[in-house]
Amino acid sequence: MAADDPFRRSVPAAPVSRYAAWAGSVRELCSVVDLLKPLAAELGAPDPAESEWFGQLFGKLRPQVTREPILVVAVCGGTNTGKSLVANVLVGGEISRSVPEAARTRCPVASLPVGLAARIDLEELFPGFTPRPWSSGVDALGGGSDGDDLLIWREDPSGRQSQRLILIDTPDVDGTLRENWHRAEAVRNACDVIVAVLTQQKYNDAAVRDFFAAAAAARKSLIVVFNMVNWPAQRERIAGWLATFTAETGAAPLAVYAVPHDFSRAEAGTIEFFPLPELTGNRAAGGPIPPPSEPPADLATVLSAVDFDRIKLRAMEGAFRVVLDPRAGMGAWLDAFESSSRGWQEARTVLAEEAQVRVELPSAPRELVWHEIWEWLEPRRSRIDINLSRVYRVAGSGVAWMGRRIGVVRSAQEKQEDFATVELSALTQALTAFIDRLDAARRRNPRLEKLLGDALVYGDRASWYADLERRHTALPMVSEDYRSFVRGELDRFSRENPRFLQMLLTGLSLGSVARPCITVGLMVAGAAAVPAVAAASHGLTTLVHTAGDYVVWAVAPLAGEGVLGLTMAGLKPLLERLFAGWSAERSRVLTETLHDVVLGDRLEEIERLAGAAARPEVARARRLLHECGREVS
Amino acid sequence: MSADTSPPRDPPPQRDPQHPLPGLPRTDDGAAVALAAPGFDDAAFDDLVTGLARWSGALPDWPPARRVRAEWEQVALRLDRARRELSRVLVVGVIGGTGTGKSTLVNALAGRDLSPAGDVARPTTVAPVVVVARDVDCSWLSLDGVGARVVTSDSPAVANIVLVDCPDPDTQPGPDTQPDPDTQAAGDDGEVPAGDRSGAAARPSDSNRNRDLLEAVLPACDVLLLVATAQKYRSWSVAREVAAFAPGRPLLFVQTHASRDPDIRDDWRLELERQGIEAPSIHRIDGLEAARRTAAGLEPEPGYAALVRAIDEELVGRAARRVRRTGALDLAGWFVRQARQQLDPFRQPVVALLQGVEEQRERLEELMGRAVGQKLRDSRPAWQRIMQDELVERWQGGPFATFLHTLASLGALWPRLRAGGLVGRILAGQNSPAFAAGDGAWQSIEEVGLGEADVEQSRSILVGLAARAAIGEPMVGRARLSEAAVQTSVGTLLERTGNWLVGGVDRLVSERRDRADAPWVRAICEFLFSGMIIAVLGRAGWNFFYGHLWDGQPVGGLGFLEEALVWLVIWGLLLRWIVFARMRAGLDRDIASLVTRLPGARLVDPFVQDFAVAAGNTSAYLDEGAVLDGRLRGLCERVEEGRSSLGRLKGAVR
Repeated sequence: MAADDPFRRSVPAAPVSRYAAWAGSVRELCSVVDLLKPLAAELGAPDPAESEWFGQLFGKLRPQVTREPILVVAVCGGTNTGKSLVANVLVGGEISRSVPEAARTRCPVASLPVGLAARIDLEELFPGFTPRPWSSGVDALGGGSDGDDLLIWREDPSGRQSQRLILIDTPDVDGTLRENWHRAEAVRNACDVIVAVLTQQKYNDAAVRDFFAAAAAARKSLIVVFNMVNWPAQRERIAGWLATFTAETGAAPLAVYAVPHDFSRAEAGTIEFFPLPELTGNRAAGGPIPPPSEPPADLATVLSAVDFDRIKLRAMEGAFRVVLDPRAGMGAWLDAFESSSRGWQEARTVLAEEAQVRVELPSAPRELVWHEIWEWLEPRRSRIDINLSRVYRVAGSGVAWMGRRIGVVRSAQEKQEDFATVELSALTQALTAFIDRLDAARRRNPRLEKLLGDALVYGDRASWYADLERRHTALPMVSEDYRSFVRGELDRFSRENPRFLQMLLTGLSLGSVARPCITVGLMVAGAAAVPAVAAASHGLTTLVHTAGDYVVWAVAPLAGEGVLGLTMAGLKPLLERLFAGWSAERSRVLTETLHDVVLGDRLEEIERLAGAAARPEVARARRLLHECGREVS
Repeated sequence: MSADTSPPRDPPPQRDPQHPLPGLPRTDDGAAVALAAPGFDDAAFDDLVTGLARWSGALPDWPPARRVRAEWEQVALRLDRARRELSRVLVVGVIGGTGTGKSTLVNALAGRDLSPAGDVARPTTVAPVVVVARDVDCSWLSLDGVGARVVTSDSPAVANIVLVDCPDPDTQPGPDTQPDPDTQAAGDDGEVPAGDRSGAAARPSDSNRNRDLLEAVLPACDVLLLVATAQKYRSWSVAREVAAFAPGRPLLFVQTHASRDPDIRDDWRLELERQGIEAPSIHRIDGLEAARRTAAGLEPEPGYAALVRAIDEELVGRAARRVRRTGALDLAGWFVRQARQQLDPFRQPVVALLQGVEEQRERLEELMGRAVGQKLRDSRPAWQRIMQDELVERWQGGPFATFLHTLASLGALWPRLRAGGLVGRILAGQNSPAFAAGDGAWQSIEEVGLGEADVEQSRSILVGLAARAAIGEPMVGRARLSEAAVQTSVGTLLERTGNWLVGGVDRLVSERRDRADAPWVRAICEFLFSGMIIAVLGRAGWNFFYGHLWDGQPVGGLGFLEEALVWLVIWGLLLRWIVFARMRAGLDRDIASLVTRLPGARLVDPFVQDFAVAAGNTSAYLDEGAVLDGRLRGLCERVEEGRSSLGRLKGAVR
């Protein structure tokens, strides 16, 4: 431990204030992530909780950025490498029982300096863990198996521990219990210094490497302890092992120690740490490896002597760099978020393309629409007209009566029933076509599959049809909506055409209109496809269901084969409008069934997800990341 | 087959598949045979494997069955080999984490340093090493492409097995963790700017393919010898490989580093238990010490000696056969379990689909029955005509019959309306229902109560139920039938309905005809009608002979005859009405009962045929799977006794 000890360098001016200035940005980044996280899950974007930057942001930066700087030292390593043993020696008392069986430390155990527990909130400092005071060395062995992430803590029994240092023994990082890995990772994220316990068997295991590589990426200071070394026979080997380890993890250890394999010392908790300074600070100097002459060092003393502030600042900065990393940091996650949202926009387009169905409704019973027109007309006609039409009506009803008697003409009631039957089967068929198309859309697009799959596969289709039938039965032949629509149209037309009445009367006696054809589709606001359809067919669009931004719509194109004569040129569009409006009104039951029963609020859902990328939070997060990037570098 | 205890010099000859396991040594004492495979029924097992092979490929269009097939393809080759190469020496794969002393153990067993071992650098073994006895031909061992090194050994410990020193699963970077360029850049404070990190060198371990090599070698192994130390017996990466390769492969367990590490065998057993592996015995040795003693020709330490003994007893000769057989059985059990896992979620949906098909069929039949019944009831004139024709044809001669004939021929003068529609045509006796092609197909069955919308609705509901059972195209069609399918279905429906209606109407008519055709009815009618004639003629005779000739009254004239004729016609019509009323009585009720017999005729089947077939096939597939499962269980129960001390994956058969 010479004067050029890497632990002791010039102290930067007020390092704490340097990262305390990030507090605002960190808080804001956290709030944005909190807000976007549930949305990301819905979008199918990667879960940020899985990534390193998330761990650093929520496990390191947020809890520590404004707190009094406390150095957190964690002892980490593979199963049965002697982590607990090392930790106990460092603490100078038993915090975690060291047992021969592997993977027995199930939850982290922290040793706190005397009095610290009263000053800080451990739950906030180590988010995700439930702190529990230490009662015995076996606390860490059994706990945590019930799914609860415990953090056992004990005040330093010896009283020697530095006032600003927390020492933690962690579970393994390569055993068969994956929850141990996650707990170790959580502690790793929160710590500043890692005591990496390696062995001849494990220093190059992929799981161990990955764990320490992530620590090195976040610029944690690393102290490597090679445990169970066949001392001094294997001393020469350690340089090679360390070289492999550093090359694999990118770590640059502050110091390297060797702990000889000595069963009796391990039992007694008096293992020795032999420093290997030639493997760290003096590497660049080259020269011959000094003989193994150093006496065993007291690692606990070494730890309490390190430059806390510098190491802390380094670790905080490292954590921030991980968050800001353009390829693996939060920015990359925002990219994934946006691209998922774009995927939903595609899904929306697919749905708008697929989910359009032409409904061929039967011709409307003429008299229903005529009746509405008569109703409107009645107060506006001359007496002669009225008498004349009465004559017609009486004569007409006589003819109709005879027709009914011989079974040729059906009564108005029967006609309406016939119409309703045919109409229902047209609507049923349209519903079937709709379901079929939704099925096709779902097969075309995996996102739609995710959203609609459940409804289409597990929905009770029979009940959809029953619902349509129920709505259709309950639908009055002429609704109030339609009545007022007719009146409005006629009023408007009569204002614009003074000779209207005469034309209308002629029209009534001739009238017959085209078979209506309705297109029902799922319009999503802003999707250009739909207004284009409506415009191209010069149709009448009834916007049936407006909820939020989306609409189930029906277009009644006005097919031109109306029988109205040429002289009726002015009147024809009006009558067609009236008839088409009636048909569109009828098809409303279909759109209602589709929306209320089949799809539920899934259309709004798609709309929301497709629009997720455009949310202001995303832009704000990007701006923050940009600003912080400038600040840190 | 008498040389069971010595290893075969040649690859085993290809056996006749008819007799896969000929010549079991019956002459040996029973105990030896029982040891080979107590209670193992080779023929039944062969049958089972054949059955499984056929079953797994039986329904290639159904995705769950395809997955079962994929599982089968994983085990089929091994099962086949296990049956064919029953007496070949066993291949023992030595696996475990890096640094656990696999190579040291292999060297100890081989009696010399064949495989590099030591603590210089991890991983040590980067290519598999195959140790075979000098006189064993292992050309059948297909280890191409893994760079395996084959070495020979004279050690008695490996005289009758092939030992493979496998690479470790520890050191290769995980499949999900791409080499992360950031990890190199984080040196010390002379930090590279974040953007420039992409140029950083790759990690040395990026070229490490040890796990891939291991996974290429293990399929060739019959037995796994799992080596672990106190540090590595709970290693996740080893546990993953063991879980993947344990099915059908017995396991031997060895704790090494006995001189340095505490004894963790009890805890290891618990850990294995948790992983679903049964470990009756775990050996504990020190590889270095064993190698030293072997080299020095000393007495081996007890742990090592026990391991060598176990290899000799459990893996050589007759025991090898048993290992293979029980291994094959376990493998088959593993496959069946996998298949069950794949298929279990679909059992209920398939049943639901079967029910759904039935429900939709009933729904369509009800629609059809209602319409057909209505149509039959509405066709009164047609029924009348049929009955008249029937009666006229039967009743020949006699005054009343002549009267009926006369009426019928008068009626024939009236032009008959052409009967329209299926029911009309059938009632009119025109038995050839024609239907229009193209769009008209649906219209031609409209009168029997089925429309495009109804059929599509039923099919759409079935599409949903089928999707739940993972049944889709091409097993079933879509909700909307294709043009061709409509033509065929409608054609079939019309044909079947025609035949069914013709039969039904005929039966109805003949019942009625029999009712009216009874001799006494006819006799009464003829009597009453003749009575009227006689009465009329008698009256005329009385008037003429008595009144005119006797009493001298004037002759009544021909006016009387007109009157008589009118009465005669009225009387005839009355009788005719009574006869027909008798025939018509209960017609509506009979039509209703005819309609209730409609489902039996399976008329609407063509419309839901694909769903019915798919549901039937999947259901049969599931049933057959259950039967095979049961057969395997039976086989396993018989073998359960006499298990060795080798470890195995538990729950092979539950």
